[in-house]
Amino acid sequence: MSEPRQNEWREYALVLSVLIVLTAGGLLLPPHYSLSVGLLYLLALILLSLRVGRWPMLLGGLLSALTWEYFFLEPRFNFRIANVQETLLFAIYFVLALVVGQLSARIRSQARKEKMREESERLQRTLLDSVSHELRTPLAVITAGLENMESSPPAAQAGLVAEIRTATHRLNRLVGNLLDQTRLESGSLRPRVDWCDARDLVNAANDGVRDALTGHPLTVAVPEDLPPIRADFALTEHALANLLLNAALHTPAGTPIRISAGLSADGRQAFFTVADRGPGLPAPLRARLFQKFSRGETAGAGGLGLGLSIARGFLAAQGGEIIAGENPGGGATFSIYLPHSAPQPDPQE
Amino acid sequence: MTADTRPHVLVVDDEIQIRRSLRLTLESAGFRVGEAETGQLGLSATAASPPDGIVLDLGLPDIGGNMVLRRLREWSRVPVLVLTVRDAEDDKIAALDAGADDYLTKPFSSRELIARLRAVLRRAQPAPESAVVAFGDIEVDLSARQVRRGGVEIKLTGKEYALLRLLVQHRGRVVTHREILRQIWGPQAEDSTHYLRVQMTHLRKKLEAEPQQPRHLRTESGIGYRLVEA
Repeated sequence: MSEPRQNEWREYALVLSVLIVLTAGGLLLPPHYSLSVGLLYLLALILLSLRVGRWPMLLGGLLSALTWEYFFLEPRFNFRIANVQETLLFAIYFVLALVVGQLSARIRSQARKEKMREESERLQRTLLDSVSHELRTPLAVITAGLENMESSPPAAQAGLVAEIRTATHRLNRLVGNLLDQTRLESGSLRPRVDWCDARDLVNAANDGVRDALTGHPLTVAVPEDLPPIRADFALTEHALANLLLNAALHTPAGTPIRISAGLSADGRQAFFTVADRGPGLPAPLRARLFQKFSRGETAGAGGLGLGLSIARGFLAAQGGEIIAGENPGGGATFSIYLPHSAPQPDPQE
Repeated sequence: MTADTRPHVLVVDDEIQIRRSLRLTLESAGFRVGEAETGQLGLSATAASPPDGIVLDLGLPDIGGNMVLRRLREWSRVPVLVLTVRDAEDDKIAALDAGADDYLTKPFSSRELIARLRAVLRRAQPAPESAVVAFGDIEVDLSARQVRRGGVEIKLTGKEYALLRLLVQHRGRVVTHREILRQIWGPQAEDSTHYLRVQMTHLRKKLEAEPQQPRHLRTESGIGYRLVEA
């Protein structure tokens, strides 16, 4: 929000300074140059309209008409108009100034729309390419694996089965992600927030991505006395699983992953943090981290770039958020925050 | 010719591939398999020749799986295992409320399917209920209200024991939060899941070797708990 507003102020300032310079310059000219000054104003407005928006242009048109009338049209230095010809000049100028501003604004908005349309078409093409690649790769592995199975010796079959299984997991995850993203965008997500055991959540998330975590030593740190927290179990589990999966896929094999949970110092938020020892988050990546279909360059095993977008959506749906950060000593951290308040004690205890 | 003594399972699913692969899996595990491709056909097949168990897909084209369950439960107690897609917690809970005995999320492993099916079938068998149930190094003596771990008696509070007994009675099958809360805390506490979370934490600390990674007292994401014996 703040960026366009700041730009707009800049545009107003530009319009004002151009008018001040022109007026000051015009005053140095002999009195009978009044018509030329009017045309200069108009020329300046046309040039300005290439740079500034509708409202600064409207202000420019009004102000320049008034200054022209006040400083240059006879009788000078007041707002009276001497005769019919002057009235006509002033009226034509005023209309021209406004029309120039509005016309150019319209042209620019059309150009902007065209550009957005082109961008969305390009995005759609890339998306289609990447979805079809992501779907076809595991399907190719499965097809080839099954065909080879018939002709290969029993010793080789275990390897083929393992490949097929991995491809199936990948396909399953992909379909899951596409469905999750669709659910998010269709607004059909109805979170069921209930009391959850943080450790259960962590275990469930780990179970879901166990195959991908192979080769990354995993540490889990959840305080034993952590009270139940409020969350939609399934959505939070998926968000956590996506963070774990990212940590596994975007870091070198063998690097450790740590997942921890707890309450914030003021006790008003519950958190989960997934920390890795990978390459961390370079600044350009950080800006588009949570955008859908945005992928890090280190993503070795493909993927559509939906994981973080989904995780953030799932958290937002239940009043939580995800924050990315640097892991002291190297690597990235992703923290999930959920609103927390202490549960009512059991009256039957 | 001798009568077929294998347990008879009816598979209700509209997808022929799913029916075929379930038939292969179930037959190789020693079941006799019947098929129905709509809810209506499933109901009439059950009425014509009652199976020992039903594997029911929730997403049927004619009448939904939950409607099949409700109609079925008006006159039959046959064990039902429902098949659902992931992320449909509400559907799963609705199915359990409508009378399903357990659920399985697609895609599932065939090993899991057989284990779940055997667990729901066991409930229906009128085998004399043994007073002592053992899992891992835990022994629960339901008649003496005693719990032993590695032969040593473990003191449980009233609520902890009630929770453990409920899960033992339904062992192998999922018990919903609502069901547990209703049975142990009473109908007014149906939504107070945090009571249950706290008791489960205590129970796991007393009974599990690794309370943080329970082997027996398992959580079913967003649904309830399940006692796993293995």
